[in-house]
Amino acid sequence: MLRWLARRIIAAALVVFVVTSLVFVVTHVFTDPATVSLPLEATEEHRADRRAALGIDRPLAVQYWDFVSGLVVGDLGESFWQDQPASKLVLERLPATLKLVAGATAVTVLLAAPMGMLAAWWERRFADHAVLGFSMASISAPPFWIGYLLIIVFAVQLGWVPTFGSRGFISLILPSFAIGLASAGRLAQMTRRGIVEELRKPYAVTALSRGFSRSYTIVHHTFRNVASGFVTMTGWELTRMFTGYTVVIEVVFAWPGVGRLAIHAIENRDLILVQAAVVVLATLVVVTNLLVDIARRMIDPRVELA
Amino acid sequence: MTAVDDTMSSGADTGAADAAPPEGVTVLSDLRSHLRKSKAGISGILICSVFAVVATIGPWLPFIKDPAQQSLPDKLTPPVGWGGTWAHPLGTDQLGRDILARLIDGARISLLVGLAAVFIAAILGTALGLIAGYVGGKIDTLIISAADVQMAFPGVLAGLILVAAFGPSVWLVIIVIAISSWMVFTRVGRGLVLTLKTSLFVEASELSGAPSSRVMWRHLLPNLVSSLITLCVLELAAAILSESAFAFLGFGVQPPRSSWGLMIQQGRNYITDGWWIVTFAGLAISIVVLGVNLLSLWLQSFNDVAEREQIILERPGG
Repeated sequence: MLRWLARRIIAAALVVFVVTSLVFVVTHVFTDPATVSLPLEATEEHRADRRAALGIDRPLAVQYWDFVSGLVVGDLGESFWQDQPASKLVLERLPATLKLVAGATAVTVLLAAPMGMLAAWWERRFADHAVLGFSMASISAPPFWIGYLLIIVFAVQLGWVPTFGSRGFISLILPSFAIGLASAGRLAQMTRRGIVEELRKPYAVTALSRGFSRSYTIVHHTFRNVASGFVTMTGWELTRMFTGYTVVIEVVFAWPGVGRLAIHAIENRDLILVQAAVVVLATLVVVTNLLVDIARRMIDPRVELA
Repeated sequence: MTAVDDTMSSGADTGAADAAPPEGVTVLSDLRSHLRKSKAGISGILICSVFAVVATIGPWLPFIKDPAQQSLPDKLTPPVGWGGTWAHPLGTDQLGRDILARLIDGARISLLVGLAAVFIAAILGTALGLIAGYVGGKIDTLIISAADVQMAFPGVLAGLILVAAFGPSVWLVIIVIAISSWMVFTRVGRGLVLTLKTSLFVEASELSGAPSSRVMWRHLLPNLVSSLITLCVLELAAAILSESAFAFLGFGVQPPRSSWGLMIQQGRNYITDGWWIVTFAGLAISIVVLGVNLLSLWLQSFNDVAEREQIILERPGG
């Protein structure tokens, strides 16, 4: 177990290293932060000054070494839009993003598990079709549009919740649903499929024929066997959230998270800050994948120690 | 020796039979009868065809206004049924432009970006998957590691950094969507090749001296097509959704061109006195993506052999 863990951690660190190097290639080889920060009509002199100020006039290898050694100690460069260390700006916004992802994950799991079980319980009956309908609708609608619909109905028309910003728990509700509905739709179908397959296996047929009710068999027998797949898929949804949904939903709800910071940084031509946000989000994705692997291993010891 | 010859010739026959026309004809007629049984398949094909037609000939449809025509006195006219008139069936936006005309104009961008991105991803991804699966060894390890890294660095992040570096453009969006989807084709293609590689017809072709390129192109690829088409449809749904998200963030099409995602971005300041802008634009995206998803659901069920046999058995006279 320990050896497996060590190997997984090294592999994860390697992926982070490759991804950040790719980011460096885009931000320093194809273009550079000074060029991006200046308007097109800036004079050559002005550009040279800015390059020197940012240390971009040095050889690429030296810059790369600086970048990598900075990463190791958590230094992601200096944001020239905010005049502060980029890592500090990103880390300040990180709790908001994590809160949002936690809320969305709660919505996802709390909707998907019962819906999947209900659909499998009443296979090919009304509940099953209703859950399929919900899944198809939720995965087909863009999350940012769901966000605006929720705002129009619950904030503007009914006035139950605040429209924008983060004011405590209540303002977390709408964005969590905007992100979580699509994930719940995918996960519910996967759960249903898993349980239906398991119900055909001998152990489940035995349980049923010994007189256990369908609901008891699903909750106590088959769902446990689907659980490891459920965790893996939840992990997948988490990575989707970190990298796509949160960015868009943070813009919709004016949520002060890392994604919205990155969008503002793009608007202000602050390449260093965008780079810092992307590096942090990509690292979160890798860490999530690692945690999912460990969780799977703990839930289901049959999972191969690959 | 004769035994070997027999295996070889029968192997070669299997390979030839895979590409023979009678096989294809049965698949097509099966597909048609399968479609008649499937409400999801019919609705999916219907929605997708309407979308494709509107996107292609939209501007030449009768009674459609100029999507760029502004008319400030008519701004924020509600749709028919909410106090509007048939002059603007779906109402107008903050500049008095006709929503219906702008939706039709936006369909074009969604279709173009979606198809282009999936096309690039499918070609690149399948080629890499074929090579990884067939050649194996170090090349396989390299390609699969690249796919794993790509999984950890999904589209929107790549999009953020590329837009920050090069500025927004439609081409950039196409490339970003393509690079966030190629590894799906690589993984599926590689998996299928690994199982096919040991088949008799592949071995026969190798033994008869065919170069790897010919084995991959003539014998392996045709066997991947049906799975890959299903995958293309699935990825098309994702690509259209991604395009709308990028357009919404302002990374794709720039005004005055319109796109569904961009309409939502521009309409979001008017959700109190002009809810229809955001609502109809989002509805257009959702319906099209739903159509593509239904199509993919049906194709998957057709590729699922057990379910197909069930439906063929139920066929009257079958």
